[in-house]
Formats: sequence, C-alpha cells, structure tokens
Amino acid sequence: MTEVTDESLLAAHLRGDTAAFRQLVQRYGDSVLRYLCHMTGNRDQAEDLFQETFKRVHEKGHTFRGPRLKSWLFTIATRVVIDAARRRKRAPVLSLNQPVDCGPEGCSELGATMVAPDATDPADDLVREERKQQVREAVATLPAKQRATLVLAYYQQLSYREVAQVMGCSIGTVKTQMSRALARLAQRLPDAVSVTK
Amino acid sequence: MNEHRTEQQLIDYAFDLASDAAKRQARAHLDQCDACRRKLDVLKGKFAALDLLADEIQASPDLLAQTVATATGPRPVRRLPIWRHTWIGAVAAVIVVGISLLMVSTLQPGRAPQTPAGEPVVVDSAKASEMKSESLAPAPTKRIALAEKDVAVQTLAPTAPAPMASLAMAPLRKPTEEIVEKPPFAPASAIELVVLPRREDIQLTIYNGADLTLVRERRHLTLKKGWNWLQFMWAGTLIDPTSLTLEPVTHQDRVEVQQLVFPPRLRELGRWLIRSETSGQVPFELTYLTSGLSWRAFYMGTLSQDELTMDLQGYVRVDNQSGEEYENAQTRLIVGEVHLLDQIRELAQRQYAYGSPLPDGVKGMGMMGGMGGRARVKFVDLAFRGAKDDRMGLLGDILERKEIRKEGLSEYFLYTIEGAETIPNEWGKRLLSFEVEDIPVTSLYKYDEQRWGSDPMRFVTFANDTEHELGESPLPNGQVRIYGRADAERHLSYVGGTGVKYIPVGEEVELNLGPARLVKVEPTLMDFATDHYVFDSNDNVTGWDEVRTWKVEIANARALPVDIEVTRGFETAYWELELRGDGVAYEKHDATHARFKLTVAPRHKQAFTYIVTTCHGVREEAFVRKQR
Repeated sequence: MTEVTDESLLAAHLRGDTAAFRQLVQRYGDSVLRYLCHMTGNRDQAEDLFQETFKRVHEKGHTFRGPRLKSWLFTIATRVVIDAARRRKRAPVLSLNQPVDCGPEGCSELGATMVAPDATDPADDLVREERKQQVREAVATLPAKQRATLVLAYYQQLSYREVAQVMGCSIGTVKTQMSRALARLAQRLPDAVSVTK
Repeated sequence: MNEHRTEQQLIDYAFDLASDAAKRQARAHLDQCDACRRKLDVLKGKFAALDLLADEIQASPDLLAQTVATATGPRPVRRLPIWRHTWIGAVAAVIVVGISLLMVSTLQPGRAPQTPAGEPVVVDSAKASEMKSESLAPAPTKRIALAEKDVAVQTLAPTAPAPMASLAMAPLRKPTEEIVEKPPFAPASAIELVVLPRREDIQLTIYNGADLTLVRERRHLTLKKGWNWLQFMWAGTLIDPTSLTLEPVTHQDRVEVQQLVFPPRLRELGRWLIRSETSGQVPFELTYLTSGLSWRAFYMGTLSQDELTMDLQGYVRVDNQSGEEYENAQTRLIVGEVHLLDQIRELAQRQYAYGSPLPDGVKGMGMMGGMGGRARVKFVDLAFRGAKDDRMGLLGDILERKEIRKEGLSEYFLYTIEGAETIPNEWGKRLLSFEVEDIPVTSLYKYDEQRWGSDPMRFVTFANDTEHELGESPLPNGQVRIYGRADAERHLSYVGGTGVKYIPVGEEVELNLGPARLVKVEPTLMDFATDHYVFDSNDNVTGWDEVRTWKVEIANARALPVDIEVTRGFETAYWELELRGDGVAYEKHDATHARFKLTVAPRHKQAFTYIVTTCHGVREEAFVRKQR
C-alpha cells in the first residue's frame, strides 16, 4: 500500500476534505513545530505560530505551485516567523512563559518535553540533557538567517535548492549561510563524549 | 603533500558546501593526510551532537486537533486591535472607571477602603486576568497570560526589593491532562517564571552563640495540576543549601514535594520537583539556615545624682549581613550556645550545594575580600534616624515601642520581638528589650595594684533579681555604658563602660566602669626592718621576719562619699598585720592578701597605716605554730 502523497492530500483538502488537511497537519506537525521552536526559542510562541502557519496553509492552499509541498510549507512557516518578528518589533510583547534571560531554547517547557522516555540511568540522562542544552544554546546563538538555514537543511533535510526557495535567495547564499553557521557551531558545540544511550 | 585543510574547508567538504574542484582537492588531501582526517573526524563528532535535538520536539495531539479546528473552523469576526489604538483603550477605560465610580458612590453606603500611596498593590493574577478580559474585547488565552505577567511585574518589582534568594515556578501546561507518572527531567537552563510568590509570615530565629539563623517563610505558590518545578536561587546570600526544606502547609494529601535537585554547572541554584493533584494557590513553608544575621545585647545605665539608684535600659541590635532582605519578619533571638557541625557561612559559600568545600585559605580570601569592600553595618538609632527612613518603618517604632517577650527554651532562652521587623541587607536595627527605673545599686571603688595598677577602679553592683526590679529573665552578654546625672537639670556625663557576661536570674552583676579619676590611692612604705633571725649550727641564717610599715592615703575629690576597698598583697602566706587608723577595717582576703575597707568623706583625704610582718625560712614554721 503506497502512502498518499503530499500533493494528493493538498488536492483533497482543496476539494473540501477536512480529513486530508488533518493528515497533512499530522504529517508535518512535528517538523514544523520543531522549526518554529528553533526560530522563536519559545514553545508557546512556536505553538501560536504553528497554528498560524497551518491556518495560512489552509487558506492559501490553492496558491501552491509545486514542486514540493514540504518546502512550500516551510516557506509559509518562515513568512509567519518573519511577520511575527515584525509585529514584536512594533509592539514589544513579553510572554508570560518566557523569562527575561531565557535563551532561545532555554525554556522548561522544552526541557519538560524532552525527557527521553526510555532513559534509565539518571547519570546518562544528566549528561545527555546537559549536552542537549549546550547544543540548544549553540544553535540559538546563530543569527536568524543562519539558524533558519541550518534548521531547514540539517534538521528538515531540505536540499540547498529547497532552502533557497524557502528563504527566497540563491543557492550560493544558502551555502554561505550554512558554512558560516557550521563554522560558528564548531566553536560552540561540545566535544564528542560517549553517552550510553 | 598539500597544505593541511583549514577547519572551514573541512566543514565545507563534509557538508557538501564546497565547489566540485575544492571537493576533489580536499578528498585527495584527506586520502594522504592522517592529521586532517583526524581533524575531520573530530568535527563530525562535534556536529553529531546536533542530532540530539533532532526528534526532541513533538506536536501534542491537542495542538494538532486545535490547529485543525482553528484552520478549518468558521472565520472569526475581525476584532478591532484595541491595543494598537491606545486612545480607544483610554476612552474605554475612562468610561468604565466613570461608571464604576458612579455605581460605587450610589450603591455603597460607606466608602471603599483605599490603597495607601506607595503600598504594594498585590493583585491576584487570576483576578487580574479576569479584569483584563472584562475590560478588553474577548481575548485569546495568550493575551490573558500576558496580562498576568504585566500585573506581576508592575506590582512586585518596584515594591519588593529584588530578593537575592528568589523563587520561580515552572508549572507544566494543560492542567486538565492526566499526570504523567514519570517526573520530568530538571530543565538545565533558566526556568520559566510564571509566578514570583511573595513572602508571607517570615520568621527568623537568630542564635547569637553561633553564626546561625533559622529562616521559616511561607509563600503561596501557584501550582498547576501535574509536575511543577520550583527554582530556588541563593546567589549572593549566605544560605546553606543543604538545609533547604519545603513543605505544603495545606493540601498535604494532594501536593507532594518529591525531590530537590542541584543541576550541574549551575551555581547557587536548586530545583524542587512538586507533584500536584490540584491547581491553584497552595501555601508552602520554606525552611533553611543562613549565616550573616546576628544580634547582640547592650545596655545603657543612668546613675542617679546620689549614685544610689540607676535606670537601666536593655537593647538588642539585629544586624543583617546575610545578603538577603527580610521584610516584616517575626524575629526571635536565642540566648545560648548551639553545637554546630559545620559553619553555615562555609556551607553557603560552596559553589555547589554538596560539593567539596574549598580550602580554608581560599574561602577566607573570598569572603573577607568581599566583606572588606562593603560598607559596614549602618547603625540605626531609633531616636535620631526614625523619621527620615520610612523603609525601615522606624517612625512606627518610635511611636509604638515593641515589646520583646522572653521565655525559656530547653537549654536556651528565647526572646521574641513583638510584631514584625524589616531588616534590609547590610542594615542593623536596634530594639528596646527592657527598661527599668531606680534599680538600687552599690558604688564601690577598688584598689588592687597587682591587678589594675596605680589607679583605683570604679564598680557599680546590682543583682538580676526582683529586689533590684529585675529577675524576669536572664540578661544576655553585651556591652554596658553607664552615664551619671551631673546636676539637677539631669544633664548626663559619661561614667564608664564594660562588657558583661550572661547573667542568670538571681546572679549579682558587678560592672567595672574603669579607672576612677577623682579618687586616688597612694600607698607609701614608711619603714622596713628585719627581726627574729634564726641561725643553724654553722651560723648561717635560716629564718627571719620582715617588718614593713605602710601608709595608705586615699584622696576623694568627689562631692560624694566613696566606699573603697584597698587590697594589698604580701607575696607570702606567712604574714600578720597590725592596723592603725580610725574608720578602717580589714579582712584577710586570701592567703596572701589583706583587704581594707573604709568610707572617705566628700573632698577629703583619709589615711591609715598598717604594719605587716612576714616570716621567711624556718620562721614560717614558728608562724604556723603560733597561729595554731
């Protein structure tokens, strides 16, 4: 049995099939939310933008021209993030759940959901969580464009060409951003240590 | 071999960022160069850490369902973004306030109580959100949450002096969910600040025998159903993290404090994990030991003009060098020594709660260096400073003196200061402990050249008993300053000061006020002779007596008669004394000393003479036989 393609789901959604849209949301929910968390550094804000992203997908589905739904989805998510950032610049808003000194990933909500469900050894948990935190902080220190490029290319596995489409720039620019992001991360990421898990 | 690849070149190669030509060159170089291969492996190992974040965030089913419902639901009626047009909000607020005032003035028979200016306005966050949501258009959940934050910041930050030890709550969201059995891992970074709970009913028990204070404070924490992290930071304070305890005061059956963790590499910070089966405010009692708070007693006595009675005031002064501010604290003071296994100050200054303490030398340098640069305790005298400093609440202290209640407590004695005290960090505060008038006292001058040199010393004596208007409680050790009334206008003159040890009930107190300036004692050796020589068979001297005649003259330049004790030592236990003079008596004070007592009239000189015979050598035996 072959899996229904993204494009078929979108087409079904455009025909008014709510179940198809639900399936799309479920299919890309994790990756979009992860991207938004990386970009905002705040779970609550990311969830707001998550809803906003899929709302736009729902409303603007007819504007999709291909070739790949995933990159189009992230284009919309990126646009939503940029719009939100602009709104915040106009009227700074403090989130109740974000402390003043909270780093982009430094929120307990994130931490709370990141508990490895099958972790058994507390020491391993500890080491693993600390390393995660270092990685989060390293990623969070990247400039927004570098961070978006890294998240899209590395975590979302988009090709550099797709990232360029999402970011609205050339492949050369994407590669430059990626290269700079990785160089910066190389300075900040923890050295490799063995974690039992 | 080509030059080694740079880190950037290796990154570009590994992530397919280099041009085809550069990739070929890099591959060719790596085939030959072990060092660059190792460097590349290290880089890959580093970047492998990125995978730790790969799958950590997942959209919850609730979020997905809510998203689908939001996106596919009917389009909401467009709301006027009122917050973008502040004038609309202002007009609406004026209208609402106007209507409210009208209703209050017409419906309520009496005036509503008003919040005094400058008082902290504590607004319950839930109520605040209700107020916001009523005054604004129906707002989404996030907007209400923002209102809570606004209220918290506006009401707490300016009024509460930023506490160095602070609490922060991190409840898990979605209180309606079932509680996950497995507790969440302590987040390693800064924790969410949802509520900065105010302290309530703080109680300090300060032990003056040790650098130790027991702090018990009560705070209302807002819990959500499920797991809650509570963060406690003690940076810059002297709190002993090993002594921290947290207990719910109510809902003990539904709220459980599970563990206290000290995350690595985060200094002076601990997190409690609280499992709550309820949501809402729960009062908690937080207990810990801290160093840096101290108290000491001191006394001020005023002698009457005839020096037969004395007014005595006892004070305690509480000093706060703990790094933490204690507002409206019930303060209890303990007299007595406690046995401490560790010095709290040292425990508090550990980098990590249960880590190995630094070597003494290092610790001492750190602490003393820090303290040395600080301003010392600012002494606050109620009589002179009170009206100026409302922060301390001193004006109230002057108008209404607080009582210090005393009671026995096992081996110790407990003094409880009436009401609540605010003791800001680095401040000291003086409180009146007791005030007694007309205590009968005895003034006595003592002259003992071997102990105090050539000046007579002045003593004032009374007892801590009911006959002396005291005896209610032991008196803690402290400094005493004695003043005298110089004239009928009750002008004061400083008489002297001394330190007293702990005085139990019933014990006599003798205050040494130091050298007397108006009373002089001058002993003069008038004659010396030897007698009663004893020789052995070889005509060597084996025993003899020495006879000295001393004249002791006492000059009293005061306008009052003075009682004086003159103690004379003879450096041997084999002595006998003949006293010549009127109005003087002597007694054997100890084996080698005699004590003469007399009263010298005002502005008079009085002298007495004594002849002391001391026996030496075998004459000592004769002296003993004679005494028998």
